[in-house]
Amino acid sequence: MSISNYKVEFEKMLNRNYFSKSLHPYRKEAFTQLEKTGFPTQKWENWRFTNVSNISDGEFMISEISDAPQTTPDIDSYQMEGVDTVVIYNGHYQKDISSIPNGVNLLSGSEYMERKNGNFNRANNSPFDLLNTAFTDSGMCIVLEKNTLVKSPIRILFISNGDRSIMVNPRVNVDIGESSSLTFIEQHVGDATSFFQNESVFITLGNNAQLNHVRIQSNSEFTQNISNLNVNQAADSQYEFFQLVDGSKLGRSDICVQLDGENAQCNINSLTLSKNNQHIDNNIIVNHNSAQTHSSQFVKSILFDTSTGVFNGRTVVHENAQKITAQQTNKNILLSKKAKMNANPQLEIYADDVKCSHGSTTGQIDEDALFYLQSRGINKQDAMELMVVGFANEVLDKIPHPEIKKAIYTEFTVKLNRLMS
Amino acid sequence: MITIENLNVSIENKEILKGINLEVKSGELHVIMGRNGTGKSTLANVLVGKDKYKVTNGTVSFNGENLLDMSPEDRACAGLFLSFQYPVAIPGVNNMYFLKAAVNAVRKSRGEEEIDAVDFLSMIREKLKIVALDESFIHRPVNDGFSGGEKKRNEILQMIALEPKLSILDETDSGLDIDALKIVAQGVNDYRSPDRSFILITHYQRILNYMQPDFVHVLMNGRIVKSGTMELAKELEEKGYSWIEEEMVEIT
Repeated sequence: MSISNYKVEFEKMLNRNYFSKSLHPYRKEAFTQLEKTGFPTQKWENWRFTNVSNISDGEFMISEISDAPQTTPDIDSYQMEGVDTVVIYNGHYQKDISSIPNGVNLLSGSEYMERKNGNFNRANNSPFDLLNTAFTDSGMCIVLEKNTLVKSPIRILFISNGDRSIMVNPRVNVDIGESSSLTFIEQHVGDATSFFQNESVFITLGNNAQLNHVRIQSNSEFTQNISNLNVNQAADSQYEFFQLVDGSKLGRSDICVQLDGENAQCNINSLTLSKNNQHIDNNIIVNHNSAQTHSSQFVKSILFDTSTGVFNGRTVVHENAQKITAQQTNKNILLSKKAKMNANPQLEIYADDVKCSHGSTTGQIDEDALFYLQSRGINKQDAMELMVVGFANEVLDKIPHPEIKKAIYTEFTVKLNRLMS
Repeated sequence: MITIENLNVSIENKEILKGINLEVKSGELHVIMGRNGTGKSTLANVLVGKDKYKVTNGTVSFNGENLLDMSPEDRACAGLFLSFQYPVAIPGVNNMYFLKAAVNAVRKSRGEEEIDAVDFLSMIREKLKIVALDESFIHRPVNDGFSGGEKKRNEILQMIALEPKLSILDETDSGLDIDALKIVAQGVNDYRSPDRSFILITHYQRILNYMQPDFVHVLMNGRIVKSGTMELAKELEEKGYSWIEEEMVEIT
């Protein structure tokens, strides 16, 4: 473990006059703690299959003003109909091409931390969240007061470009007040040839609040992506999560949901498409802390070439969480003999009146089904693609918004088509 | 239509078909009967190109082409169709999407234009009536969660949508109740024409109450041991297969 490089960058960071000095104590506190814990190694239970040495030994640098775009970035190819978009380019907010829907308060990550006066959300057990707290440089906070229904989805478009081995630490807070609802999209794109993005997202849902959260991680296959997602749900709230991952060299999503209030519900859906030597790790924990809470995890991976994947799904039902329902489904399809998947679905149940199920399957294309399609005149190539799309459709169908679904479906099929032809 | 000569087929070095000879002419309906394990399904599967079967000898000519050299998809495009004994479920693949892809693949091979979504839907609606299935059915994943009868009717739906020249029906009548059986038989009868042929594989004479075969063959121990007409099927229904075995012993 080597933190020294990060220490140099941290000193640089503290000397940047465009970051508010009032946050320095929190940054320093987090960095000191990170120095104690260090980066995860494969000896850590939750990191057994994921090697982060490219990050811990990497020489990533904080983003400078010179890493901001010289001309207005072209975002036409990421167009989504009827969606308000906030653009962040290599960690720099692009005000001119950003728009915000009515009823939404938008603050920068550090403004939000400042406003919370140190009582901001953090995930203390995670070295990467500590790193994020120390280095927070971008991100957005979306605050909805109570009884606010925002119809048009809001998207943060993170663009990462260049070859300068930049590190960005966006921090996103989404606070949805009582009986309010929003659709929030985070989309990660770009062609960087060396990049480290360490993102922390904190979501707080008030009573009866609703959030559709869509995450599209399709930045370059040379990017190290760490994502820490923390969700806290009050009574009767509903959280719908959908994630498509097809970018990253290393992609790790830590998703932790706390179902704190009665009748809170979360549905975690994820689809991964990996190729070459990509490594994509989904580490999900759902905590049923209250009675009558409901959760589902529906996680699928499609692996090509020598790519590898991890599904580590945990559902914990705490002692007083009676009459809950929880489902965990993990399905993986290996399209190459050298692709590898590590799946570990876990249930931990301390209550006695619950309905839980879990299962995981990993396999190759069903030869009988393939033959069936061929026997109807469809050539082998198209038949395989039809089946893989079918496999993905079961998750893609969970995307709640038709326009977003269309955009994601297109992104997915274009990438898949390239891989299969 | 199809000429099978001295066809020998084995699976994992076990010989299943030991010299099949069969000619089916345009417009004919041939029935192949026989006990379990005599090679009926092997014959059906080897004709459509399932790769676990190894052809050790013999030829199959399909409208003048060497069928055994063709890929499964090319066989389908050339007009060969198998209604599977056990149609496989394909979760996530929409039935309509699949059918449209199949119809267009076949059309393309014939040099015809691809059918668009609107025309396809109205075409399929008509065909759905023939097999007595409602429209919701084509929006479900292929054979996923279908009952036995629905799967068989879905096979017939595919047949009448793809318009093959030779249709092999592998125990399409098994597991059907009498109403479903009539629907399937009616679907096949409506589809019959002087330029379309059928090979019907069955255990039971029952379906022949609704169809008029031109020839009936008995497959035993990898060979066609007896051929006849409808009368032969009736005789089998009454007496079983053992009398044929006895006849064979007498001959040898």
